[in-house]
Amino acid sequence: MMRYKRFFLQLIIILLFIGLVGILINNLIINLIRTDLGFNFYWLLKPASFALSEHALPFSPSDSYAWALLIGWINSLKVILFSLIFSTILGIIIGLSRTSKNILIKKISSFYITFIRQTPLLLQLMFWYFVGFLGLKNKFINFSNILKINTQGIEFFGLSLTPEFSALFIGLSVFTSAFIGEVIRGGIISVEKGQWESFRSLGLSERDGLIKVIIPQALPAIIPGLTSQYLNLAKNSTLAIAIGYSDIYAINDTIINQTGRAIECFIILLLTFLILNLSITNLMEKINKLINKKQIYIN
Amino acid sequence: MYLKKINKNFKKFREILLLNSLNNFLTIILVFAIFITFLQTFNWLIVNSKWTAVTTNIPLFVFGTFPEDQRWRPFIWIMSLLTICFLSIVPPKWKWLRKNLLIAWIGMIPLGIFLLYGGFGIQTVMSRNFGGLTLTILLTVCSSMFALPIGIGLAFCRQSSLFVVKKLSSIYIDSMRAVPLIAVLFFGQLLIPLFLPLGLEIDSVWRAIFAFTLFVSAYIAEDIRGGLQAIPHTQIESAKSLGLNHLQIIRFILIPQSLRIALPALTNQVIGLFQNTSLMSILGLVELLGIGRSILANPKFIGQYIEVYIWLASVYWIICTLLALMAKYLEKRLKIA
Repeated sequence: MMRYKRFFLQLIIILLFIGLVGILINNLIINLIRTDLGFNFYWLLKPASFALSEHALPFSPSDSYAWALLIGWINSLKVILFSLIFSTILGIIIGLSRTSKNILIKKISSFYITFIRQTPLLLQLMFWYFVGFLGLKNKFINFSNILKINTQGIEFFGLSLTPEFSALFIGLSVFTSAFIGEVIRGGIISVEKGQWESFRSLGLSERDGLIKVIIPQALPAIIPGLTSQYLNLAKNSTLAIAIGYSDIYAINDTIINQTGRAIECFIILLLTFLILNLSITNLMEKINKLINKKQIYIN
Repeated sequence: MYLKKINKNFKKFREILLLNSLNNFLTIILVFAIFITFLQTFNWLIVNSKWTAVTTNIPLFVFGTFPEDQRWRPFIWIMSLLTICFLSIVPPKWKWLRKNLLIAWIGMIPLGIFLLYGGFGIQTVMSRNFGGLTLTILLTVCSSMFALPIGIGLAFCRQSSLFVVKKLSSIYIDSMRAVPLIAVLFFGQLLIPLFLPLGLEIDSVWRAIFAFTLFVSAYIAEDIRGGLQAIPHTQIESAKSLGLNHLQIIRFILIPQSLRIALPALTNQVIGLFQNTSLMSILGLVELLGIGRSILANPKFIGQYIEVYIWLASVYWIICTLLALMAKYLEKRLKIA
């Protein structure tokens, strides 16, 4: 009796769900017919007829929309990868200084974390772009031709980065590093106090103990938090549109403004983000497995 | 006597600050850097900064383009919100008020809608005139109040023994968490009208609230699920043995405890939501950051980027810190009870 009841309950829920989706799709079709757009992906092959200032592969306005989307993806991946590396380095430094014994360092890093976490990322990005780069005007920083920072962006060992990219890269890295710092601090705290005492009593130096004893044990607690911060970083990179960096979202937005193909572009955006999310999660899981294997080996 | 004490304190201070040679070096460099930064900032504050963009536009930052003679309405709403926040932290002596606090919180939404939109005897105001801090608070309060019950529901659905319910809610939660917020907001602003029947229109503020609710409820659901998993199973068994039915267990055992466990995470969600309302400035609503952007676009205040950004950052920072402190206090109180 109970089983039938459960079965029918689920059937009703499915029917309700299908009905709701059906109504929405029906509305959508009516609206699409009314606006004379329809639903197809043939427009992807038409010329994009907009210019992009930032492109890793050759791009001209006569290239197709599909090519423009690919360029957007490369731009997105570029900024995600750069900030991922830099924010991890910065985050480790901040996380370690949060656990430092030096009160000055501890206070500064904790102020950094609270301040960064309690102001919106969008505001920070605008600050970096409008004040940090465009606000430089005539002033610029030049370290004997190795590192140049001016309104044209950053030039580092001949590798020149546009101001949009640099602002986004720095903004994302600084924002994410505050969160990564907290994750790393949490991981280090999760290691038992006895471990610290025992490596000291064995005569290991602070630095050796940290690298050889504490961090390997903290890693299993750090990796999941790190994964979610990396996912957030990837998602937050879509704020590029606010400072005019042509990432995947900005290019989708431009295409929608030009062609009105909102539904198709939205589907493309969702699919690509799903793929990106899955690949980051899988990669981190593999790293996690690798670490756990090593852990067993050490033990 | 005094000298000895000072000497001792000084020694302690030195011991803390100057642990070894590396730390010695770092401390000196940091003190030097802080000193220079302070000097520069002070110099800039005294000599170069121009605060006209902020000082002449304070009402704009708070109320947006709300009609000038009607500004008492959002003011009353914000004040009543502050009062009710205060009452929830420091519980009033009157029992009836304490019992009805939840109803008062829920009542804040209709009160806000009435005061902001008008009608029923007071002048109506179009939603395009909403702006500034008022709009930011409206978006935050409405979205979080709608998202909390939906999030709780989703969390229970994800734990359900019914396969279909479990699958549907977990697909919803996971896909929402995989998508950037701006895409969801974009969906709210541009795509929702496409899914509505002809003739039915929702104004852009409500579409934004809808999108925020969709997004935040998925995150809240995961936080609540964490809280539910932390409740030991013996509690449910003992509740069953006391003869409580399924709904009673949810109402009296699971919801209060999971909410209490998830409180820090939920606060972070609300703080995150408050900050993320700034994304609406890209999508055409002039909330706090949007007002800042439009003021900076005014040629009268050209080049006052740093001042406006510092002002906005401090507003966001103060409100977020207050929220965090409130939550910490509440957590402490709930732990004792």
